[in-house]
Amino acid sequence: MRYLLHRALHAVFLLLGVSLLTFLFSSLTPGNYFDEMRLNPQISPDTVAALRAQYQLDRPLPIRYLHWLSAVAHGELGFSFAYNTPVAPLLWVRARNTLLLTGTATLLAWLMALPLGVWSAARFGRAPDRVLSWATATLLVVPDLVLALCLLILAVRTGWFPTGGLVSVGFDELSPLHKFRDLISHMSLPVVALVLATLPMLVRHVRASVTEVLDAPFLRAARSHGIPDRKLLYQYALRAAANPLISLFGFSVGTLLSGSLLVEVIMSWPGLGPLLLEAILARDLYVVIGGVLLSMLFLVTGNLFADVLLYWADPRIRTTASAK
Amino acid sequence: MQPLLKVENLGKQYRVRRSPGATDHFAPLEGVSISIDPQTTLALVGESGSGKSTLALCIACLEPPTSGCIFFQGIDVAVLDQNQLRLLRPQIQLVFQDPASSLNPRWTALDIISEPFLVQRRFTKPDRAVRALQLLDRVALPRKLAGRRAGELSGGQKQRLAIARALALEPKLIIFDEALSALDCSVQAQIANLLVELQSSLGLTYLFITHDLAMAAHLADHVAVMQRGRIVESGPARKILSSPSHDATRSLLAATPLLFESSREPVNF
Amino acid sequence: MRQPRKLAKWLVVLVALHAIVAAAGFFAPYDPVEQDRQRPYLPPMRIHLMDAHGHLHLRPFFYPLKLREGSFDQYEENTATSVPLLFFRSGASYRLLGFVPARLHLFGATGARIYFLGSDAYGRDQLSRILYGGQVSLLAGLLGAGVTLLLGALVGMAAGYYGGWRDELLMRIAELFLALPWLYLLFALRAFLPLGVGPFDSFLLVVVVIGIVGWARPARLVRGVVLSVKERDFVRAARGFGASDFYLLRRHILPETASVLLTQAAILVPQFVLAEMTLSFLGLGVPEPLSSWGNLLATLQQYNVLVSCWWMYLPALAIVPFFLGYLRLASALQQRTVTYKIDEKNDWNPS
Repeated sequence: MRYLLHRALHAVFLLLGVSLLTFLFSSLTPGNYFDEMRLNPQISPDTVAALRAQYQLDRPLPIRYLHWLSAVAHGELGFSFAYNTPVAPLLWVRARNTLLLTGTATLLAWLMALPLGVWSAARFGRAPDRVLSWATATLLVVPDLVLALCLLILAVRTGWFPTGGLVSVGFDELSPLHKFRDLISHMSLPVVALVLATLPMLVRHVRASVTEVLDAPFLRAARSHGIPDRKLLYQYALRAAANPLISLFGFSVGTLLSGSLLVEVIMSWPGLGPLLLEAILARDLYVVIGGVLLSMLFLVTGNLFADVLLYWADPRIRTTASAK
Repeated sequence: MQPLLKVENLGKQYRVRRSPGATDHFAPLEGVSISIDPQTTLALVGESGSGKSTLALCIACLEPPTSGCIFFQGIDVAVLDQNQLRLLRPQIQLVFQDPASSLNPRWTALDIISEPFLVQRRFTKPDRAVRALQLLDRVALPRKLAGRRAGELSGGQKQRLAIARALALEPKLIIFDEALSALDCSVQAQIANLLVELQSSLGLTYLFITHDLAMAAHLADHVAVMQRGRIVESGPARKILSSPSHDATRSLLAATPLLFESSREPVNF
Repeated sequence: MRQPRKLAKWLVVLVALHAIVAAAGFFAPYDPVEQDRQRPYLPPMRIHLMDAHGHLHLRPFFYPLKLREGSFDQYEENTATSVPLLFFRSGASYRLLGFVPARLHLFGATGARIYFLGSDAYGRDQLSRILYGGQVSLLAGLLGAGVTLLLGALVGMAAGYYGGWRDELLMRIAELFLALPWLYLLFALRAFLPLGVGPFDSFLLVVVVIGIVGWARPARLVRGVVLSVKERDFVRAARGFGASDFYLLRRHILPETASVLLTQAAILVPQFVLAEMTLSFLGLGVPEPLSSWGNLLATLQQYNVLVSCWWMYLPALAIVPFFLGYLRLASALQQRTVTYKIDEKNDWNPS
């Protein structure tokens, strides 16, 4: 238990550190949203000054940070200059869209990677394994940028998939079934891109971990007891190989918000990625900080989740933790 | 006659942080006092973990002690600054137990022996090579090994190389930290004889650390016995080994197989 | 032994690929900024050996394209005139490797421009632009990797050698950097620096930004090596001769880090080339008229180009052989070196 508390504390420190870093960095850089406004002749300098005062941009840095910190404690993430709305609701909507995409993609990828990896490890060195290895190696060599663009062009030329947006125009008038189908058809392309990008690495790791375990004496002993192969693979081998896979799963959970930025931008999916990009370009301070912090929260939670799972699943960690 | 090395009340303590708020104190050395006369050999014996290596590192100025003094030729080593220490270092050299670790396996034998010259900035480049080859002769290593990498040499050859390196700066005191323990018996004997020969021809003083009492008997004039960071017994070799007064010494002697005749006289080999 | 041969093979492949890009002036038929406003968005031309009448020719040739009757953007071959493809022609002048002036090109044609990979909105030859663009992207990746490894090595050595509070502090900062989403950090860093600067300054900024983002992992790996080497007896022995810290770091510890740094280089360079491509694609990297693989792809963000001009996608494929070469090189390097295990879950970054 103390071990988990220690890890949770560590996570909080990380979040604070990142928030400070982001805040510091974006405040120290030249240019901010209001400089752009100042160049606009239609807005009087007084208005700009008043707006600056309203957003407290003239106060010294530490005070601004503390203000912001206390606001976050109350659940407020600041104000977006560009959208003229509070940051929090803006982020939630976009984050929800992103999670829809990445959640589906991650689930699919893991559901495919586990059986593929185990199957491949069981036939180590033989033809099916070699074919799969070759396939993953090929996919790995293609970066996500290239992959996503390729899929986009394919979609455009064949017309099988819509090429952007969350839903079609006129969505609200559709029946629930059609709404669902519409959403699915819009999601398909980005999900395929994400799955293709993450699947090869996952399969490799699963295969590597299971292969390492398959050589273990205890497995040979189990086989000699007459335990059927499938049970052997999934209940015995996979459980023994679980440690690095749990860490990997934690990492997958952690990158749910941040891993899809490029795909979202290319496929015009209204998620967190494009929002952050816009905000960065427009120097919309609080949106950037809020967005980065939200992704960091996921990352840190993902790792913590992996820690908890490991603690629960692996008795060795429990004993070493309590021995400290 | 003033002893070459005089260690007074040396102590070393480590603080290990187990968790925030709880520190353990770990003391490999406590109140150690020894002295070595010039051109003699002191054997420091004790079981594993008794603190012998830590003492060696402190005397060689590679680890700072937490209490006590080390006097080398009457000079208190602790008060020396970096530059003075650098001038002193050539006088005290250390030969380690595992030559695979104490010699950089990628370097050639010649480079390894010349390294002390390089570091102390002595002699010109060609001169260094000449002196290095002379040192190879001194330790009875064939000159053709000069260009070989240390990783390719045998255990005995490596240890001879380590000794040659220790001799490079013409030290007065050489500390052997279990230097023969990792070698085969026959090789041990050869190198032990080499050490005796070097001592008499070069006028060296040895601090010989070992857990092998037979070796101590062969090489040492004086013996000091360590147990758990303290010196529990010390004196002339013959006296200690024939009539030990402390339990630690007795158990060490008992563990030495087939060494003594029934008259309990040490056998020379 | 299989390992050294594999390593040598991929090294040769990579060197050849880089040589082609380095000698872009020779392999490219035209100057990359040379425009031909009469021929925007031409599709790639085909090389023929057999002409429209069924005769076989020895010298390959191509047909220039003309607009199809009644359309603004459909092209077809003009079989009336055939233009032979000539090799080793003298053409636009260029500087090999930046300082040797030359005029020799691998191939060219008189009478009409040959567009092997099509043309862009200004009629510029895509093949030439891809080759020259490769110089920018690859250089950005290589220099960025150099900066990162230098930074990482310095931090790793300082942290590992001196230990204590310096080590704690540096590693905590490294952890912070490692925890941040890489792409976000890249964008944020670049976007918060001045945006509207000239091509050369932009390139420098891109290199610096890429270099700063990735130092944490090499630093940790180097620190691991330093920690284990520091305790070796030969380092102690050297200190026993009076060696200074600097001497020990330079002559004993640094050589041991070489293998780790090399492997990291093979892993980082393709990632950094990709980073430059991503930045340029989104408008945050190298600007026009300088071409880089990234900004060549940026035209795909226009819908009409995406639909009708499939050849504008080709710059994306240019990086694939380099990725392959570098990844294979990295795995060959990893197989022949001892890996210093660092017990951290964060090392599961798939990229």
